[in-house]
Amino acid sequence: MMGLASYLVFFACVVLVLCILTMGLNLQWGFTGLFNAGVAGFYAIGGYTHAILTAAPSPQLMGNFGLPWLVGIIAAMLITAVAALVVGLITIRLRGDYLAIATFGIGIMIQLVSLNLESWTGGSQGITRIPKPLSTWFEGSLTYNLFYLVFMVVVVALVYWALERILSSPWGRVLRAIREDEMAASSLGKSPLSYRLQSFVLGSTLMGLAGALYVTFIGFVSPFDFLPILTFQVWAMLIVGGSGNNRGAMLGALVVWGIWAASGVAVSKWVPPSHAAQGAAIQVILIGLTLVLMLLFKPRGLLGERAVVSRHLVW
Amino acid sequence: MIVQAIVDGIFTGAIVSLGAIGLSLTLQIMRFANFAHAEFMTIGAYLALAAVGLMGPGAPSLGLSFGWQLLVAACLAAALAGVLSWGLDLVVFRPLRRSGAAPLVLVFAAFGAALILRHVLVLIWGHDSYFYTRELQLGVMIVPGVRVLPDQVFILALAIFLVTLLHLYLTHHRTGIAMRAMAESPSLSQVCGIEVDRVMRTTWIISGFMAAMAGVFSGLTPQLHPELGSNILLSIFTAAIFGGVGSLPGAVLGGLLVGIAENLFLLVADPGYKPAMPFLLLLGVLWLRPQGLLGEKAS
Amino acid sequence: MQLPITVTRMGLNRRLLGLLLAFAAAPAAWAQSTACPVKVGGILPLTGSMAPITKKIAQSAELAIEHVNQGGGVKGCPVQFILRDDQGQPTVGVDAAKYLVDVERVQAFTGTISSGVTGPIISAVTAPSKVVQISCCSSASAFTDGRSAGYFFRTLPTSKTQAYATASEVSRRGMKRLAVIYVNTDFGTDMLRFYRGAHKKLGGEILAEVAYNDNQPSYRAEVTRALASKPEALLLIGFPKDAVTIIREWLSQGGPRKVALNNSMRTMDFVNGVGAQFVEDFFGMDNAQEPGPHVDAFNDAFQKKWNTDSKGPGVHTQYDAVMVMALAMNIAKDLSGPSIREAVRRVHTPGGTPVGTGPAEFKKAIELIRAGKPIKYFGATGPIEFDANGDVSGPALVWKITGGQIVTDRTIGLTDMQALTRRVEE
Repeated sequence: MMGLASYLVFFACVVLVLCILTMGLNLQWGFTGLFNAGVAGFYAIGGYTHAILTAAPSPQLMGNFGLPWLVGIIAAMLITAVAALVVGLITIRLRGDYLAIATFGIGIMIQLVSLNLESWTGGSQGITRIPKPLSTWFEGSLTYNLFYLVFMVVVVALVYWALERILSSPWGRVLRAIREDEMAASSLGKSPLSYRLQSFVLGSTLMGLAGALYVTFIGFVSPFDFLPILTFQVWAMLIVGGSGNNRGAMLGALVVWGIWAASGVAVSKWVPPSHAAQGAAIQVILIGLTLVLMLLFKPRGLLGERAVVSRHLVW
Repeated sequence: MIVQAIVDGIFTGAIVSLGAIGLSLTLQIMRFANFAHAEFMTIGAYLALAAVGLMGPGAPSLGLSFGWQLLVAACLAAALAGVLSWGLDLVVFRPLRRSGAAPLVLVFAAFGAALILRHVLVLIWGHDSYFYTRELQLGVMIVPGVRVLPDQVFILALAIFLVTLLHLYLTHHRTGIAMRAMAESPSLSQVCGIEVDRVMRTTWIISGFMAAMAGVFSGLTPQLHPELGSNILLSIFTAAIFGGVGSLPGAVLGGLLVGIAENLFLLVADPGYKPAMPFLLLLGVLWLRPQGLLGEKAS
Repeated sequence: MQLPITVTRMGLNRRLLGLLLAFAAAPAAWAQSTACPVKVGGILPLTGSMAPITKKIAQSAELAIEHVNQGGGVKGCPVQFILRDDQGQPTVGVDAAKYLVDVERVQAFTGTISSGVTGPIISAVTAPSKVVQISCCSSASAFTDGRSAGYFFRTLPTSKTQAYATASEVSRRGMKRLAVIYVNTDFGTDMLRFYRGAHKKLGGEILAEVAYNDNQPSYRAEVTRALASKPEALLLIGFPKDAVTIIREWLSQGGPRKVALNNSMRTMDFVNGVGAQFVEDFFGMDNAQEPGPHVDAFNDAFQKKWNTDSKGPGVHTQYDAVMVMALAMNIAKDLSGPSIREAVRRVHTPGGTPVGTGPAEFKKAIELIRAGKPIKYFGATGPIEFDANGDVSGPALVWKITGGQIVTDRTIGLTDMQALTRRVEE
């Protein structure tokens, strides 16, 4: 019983980090119609910035300044915002799927930089000994994880509340207007590009925050944390949960990550180890099938967006 | 060294071109980025492997590392892949289009489909390495400092041949012409009575066929594995967009240029960044000339 | 004589009495103290880019579990092996590890391969939950620097042994002007780092260092770059699948046929992949699997069960990782993390009775353990002795490819390795 509780606390912390990530993407895609396929890249920038600033010094690495945790978090968000601004300026004019390809490429480049810039990022060995905030206050890993869970719940609630406020503000309404009918919005004097850029930057900042929170929780970061499969997972979360809806985003994070973890358990229970590789392949196939079927039969996701609005004709 | 890099680039580019053609067509006619395209390369390669398993790769002839049997196997595999490609559209993309899904939902569905297809291959064949033939070719020095493999020359010739065939089809056959019309203006084409379904079907089949051919010959040097297609996916996208979406010569040109650029890049840059190369190129293209080299400027 | 004292919920005194009374029927006594079956976990990248080599590694683990159970299990209980896939993705691996430890309640686990996954597991699960983790294959030198609080071990020597030994052999063969092509992961960069120093120290020159990313369709450019420096020989550090592509490219472009390889290439997959006629006299290093009954026994058992040879990266070290876990769990006074951790080093005590691989030897080991006698485990890789950091240092061997077969050329014993290390590091 204790064991299950301990695992669930851990699982919940990871899900909460993914919630922030998905809500960031939701702002970009659900509310602004931007297909950001480089989610992993911004997650990485946040994670690495935090790690480089807060980790304990190491002889092989130039960074690792051992700064306080809060500094790391704030810096992670700032640096990610700046990076998103740069990326946004380059890509924001691009049409839908071109934006996807471009951001996908950028995500990959960021990951490659983290792999090759060894003197700062530790390359493939990663950065270790990333401190956890207030770790000395709590004895034992379960108590600490419980604290972190509560902490994450507070952070996620704050993010959710802030997003909801922003989206129901005038700024948010303009955003939705731009998504639906750009020409009409610009004819009213609103600059679509500028709003899109702001939304892109804000969404990416959330992703950076998620990255910093994640590496804090795990205590270790390496380039392998930011492979394209992560982008795919976050997108799956958004689509399954329902884009254009922050509660949907969170539900999607829970459901998709839950399926991912549970299917791993199922394979290990029902498939003998000698066939484990094939069992694992089946796991991925099932995950893919779930997604495609969701798209076919419940395209709005589990909690689709409330107001139904016209979509551009496909072709 | 530079000449060798350029020559190598032309040969890698031939394979990228074959892959880019199909992608360019679907990108233009269906107007969505089909991330599952690359998996048809892999599917083609493995289907040919199965066929070769039955027939044998044939004794090396004409200085190539394989015999005519591989060609037959490739054609069979490509045909089957084309049909499968169409099947994927019927099962996944068409229903989504019919229900008015946003184009980017289609892209995401393509991601999901790609994942499924790839892992079905893993389920059947596993991750072990497979070869069509154990022959190892030694480079022939054609000019001092430049080595070329006979296989590579063959692939280039084959690519040119296929592209020429396709070009003839697009310019002389009814469905081919209809495809071009639809690429330019879908709504207008419908008004003119073009059977949309037939054009789409043909597009998918051709797209899958070309991809499979690219896959088979990519697997020749030197082995097959499930990530064969997905590893080249980004280069193919770059090539298609670089050359100008919807333009057949553009896809070919794009493929060759991407191949050359990648190889030249490696002369100067750290190979650790090699996978980023196609993207840098792509970003440059999208920034400077988004319609690509031979594409039409968007109205 | 040391009485094994097991503390359980039933209280110490009752336990002691029970054990004394049941000493003649020892297995039954042990069974009372532990909940059967004893669970042991495994985390490996069964899918993902490492998958080609993982299949055999998983088979090796399973073989070990089978031998353990045939030999008597752990504390009289059969062992249940729960294997999870980390998919090469750290988040998945950490989740799997946490589940294994918290929900399945494994007493120890083995895993994994990629350092990107092992790292977070150590940091988020192994150290905080105080569970012993033994890796067959995770080579990043940073892991045994103390951060795991002593709970992480590996049966794979750090790349240092391999690197120094390779440099020594390369030097012996007179291959001074070398180009290096290496895989751009923790394993490759680690090994290169050690190799560089050794090679230079032994009088050689590295003309080019070309990194490659795995899973690329073509390595022409990398090979061209390496050849541009006009080396007389090549050192290739990587894994069989891409190595085959690289070597074929190298030969195609007329690269010199003097090639040194790392241990992963010591598999027929590599030989056949390139083509036996092309790899004559290629050589490489491996952690010593000293020819002897223990290693042979393992190789035979593997061949018999799985109908395929046991050559390949990680196969022998994985077997040893599981065996060491099982032996340590038998030696430990109870199955708590700290006890097992403490017991791991007693798997190979100086002056202990040698025990080897296979069910019969394991049974023998259990009897010795019950009798309180120290053991000295000689595994599928050779003697397994952990140093203060949880690393195994060991002898190395040189293998080479002759007539399409992989044969052992010579071994570099422990003392020679130590001498070599001193020479390089002075």
